[in-house]
Amino acid sequence: MDSPNLPVVTDGSRLTPGELQSVVFSRAALGRRGYDEDQVRDFLQYVERELVQILNHKAALGEEVNRLRAQAGRGAGGVLAPEDAHFQAVRILSQAQQTADLYVADAERYTRELAHEARLHREAILSDAKGRAEQMLEDAHRKAAEVADAAVRSVPPPAATAPSGPGAPFGPGGASADERRHELEREIAYLRTYSEVYRTHLRSYLEALLRNVDEWESSERASVTGETPGPPLRG
Amino acid sequence: MDAQRLKDNFAAVAGQGDAVALFFYSDLFVRNPHLRDMFPIGMTGQRDKLLRALGQIVAKVDDLPSLVPFLQQLGRDHRRFGIVAEHYPHVGASLLATLRHFSGTAWTEDVESDWNAAYSLVAKVMLEAADENALSSPAWWNGEVVAAERRRFDIAVLRVRPDRPLPYTPGQSVALEVPSRLRHWRYYSMANAPRPDHTVDFHVRLVDGGPVSPVLVRATKPGDRVRMGAPIGTLTLDESSSRDVLLVAGSTGLAPLKAILEQLAGRPAPPRVHLFFGARDRDGLYDLEHLSKLAAGLPWLTVVPAVSDEPAPDESGGHGFSALLGSGGGHGPDPEGIEHGDLPDVVARRGPWPGHDAYVCGPAAMVEAAVERLAASGVARDRIRLESFADAQR
Repeated sequence: MDSPNLPVVTDGSRLTPGELQSVVFSRAALGRRGYDEDQVRDFLQYVERELVQILNHKAALGEEVNRLRAQAGRGAGGVLAPEDAHFQAVRILSQAQQTADLYVADAERYTRELAHEARLHREAILSDAKGRAEQMLEDAHRKAAEVADAAVRSVPPPAATAPSGPGAPFGPGGASADERRHELEREIAYLRTYSEVYRTHLRSYLEALLRNVDEWESSERASVTGETPGPPLRG
Repeated sequence: MDAQRLKDNFAAVAGQGDAVALFFYSDLFVRNPHLRDMFPIGMTGQRDKLLRALGQIVAKVDDLPSLVPFLQQLGRDHRRFGIVAEHYPHVGASLLATLRHFSGTAWTEDVESDWNAAYSLVAKVMLEAADENALSSPAWWNGEVVAAERRRFDIAVLRVRPDRPLPYTPGQSVALEVPSRLRHWRYYSMANAPRPDHTVDFHVRLVDGGPVSPVLVRATKPGDRVRMGAPIGTLTLDESSSRDVLLVAGSTGLAPLKAILEQLAGRPAPPRVHLFFGARDRDGLYDLEHLSKLAAGLPWLTVVPAVSDEPAPDESGGHGFSALLGSGGGHGPDPEGIEHGDLPDVVARRGPWPGHDAYVCGPAAMVEAAVERLAASGVARDRIRLESFADAQR
């Protein structure tokens, strides 16, 4: 059996239309018409192999194209597709914004805490001052009362004194006038001591206040020259 | 437009919270970098506002009679931010991009066309209202501080002269911006009825950590500049009513009520007015001196000051310092007539108040309690007008 005049085809190359035209099948055996069946079958198998190869190749190429397209889309060499670049920019800006928001919130919280502490401090100073003042008055009262009592005790009891001459208008009224006098002496002693103690306290308290004001002034002078003035003294 | 579909889509997107607004603004600024300068550095509050406004719009999207006035006000409000017609399509594009991004597979052509239709409507109504408003009113007023009086370490009274007449109804407020805190706007009520020289007073209380109020209280002096938006607000006098009036003011909530008081004083025959002015302590009654003088000259006005956090004189006990300072010696009624207790209780104690109109302004909790006590004291609920400052004045 002769093989047909098939073109020499290596695995890598392709069947061309020209080669197909030049294929020659030998005559069939005597008494039979047509092409040699074996040759035709061989040829068809050959064509089929070729076609399978072509299709495979085509699929591979298709994949390659997709791969390259995707690569181009992802930005081979750092260039992004517009869509992706936009999302990335949005993401970066969002992160920057969140960082800024965080800083602002931190600063706000810090300010709030400082202000809160300052407020507590202010209340403490006020209530301390109030407490001192109360104490001052209490102290003055206590001491004055003691002195007044002592003043009364130092005067001889009314019974031991002689009737105080013609000055006493009514007999029975003499004792009560004496009582009144004692009462007044007591009152005077009380008031004198009370004001004395109170003055002493007040003086030392005012001196302390003045020292505070001096400290305040010098610390203000030391700090940056006044954008925001200190709290005004309440009059 | 399918309202329900729109609402469902928004509910799903809004459920993802702050990330939605964060994406929206980043998208907007990446596409239009020049818009970034129209917003403050910190955007937390801005994002909340956006989501709230969107939520309100979507909730009302099938209720035009209430949606349209809301959008008109929104459109007018945006004038002072310098928002103009050309900004609207940018916002629309970023809004759609945001919704698409967060809808995932739920995003369909139908949903997209719903949102397109809704946004077109929103933009149209807002812009028309802004344009109409522009015919009669500037986008903002420049003002100069002409007086700044610090009444307490954290309370100041400012007087501002606008660069042109600022027409308003007593009880209304304006958004205020100071140059050192650009793009932070805070609402303050005018504390006076309109004057011939157009000056307005603001009562400002310092809120710790706030961006604007500390500047206004501590660092504002005559000559400083401020910007003001258009006056808004519904805590205004019912001029058709001739009933007697109760004004209930907590702290700087006094401002709008003082304006209303001045308006009443301008009537030929003012009604009987009781002004209740409450604070935590005596220090906080920052305007009492002025109010008392006012009341001394106006027979129809009674001013009732009240403090909530100070013991009543007879409770303080002893012959101590506080008693000595309270010139009356600490017995009997307070010499200045200051009531003790929470303001709503004090108001109720002085009642009942049938047939009165009531106007209430102050911290939210106080306003709420006052309304209940007033209702229980015979004031009809539809005769009570109120306003509370929540976050508006930081």
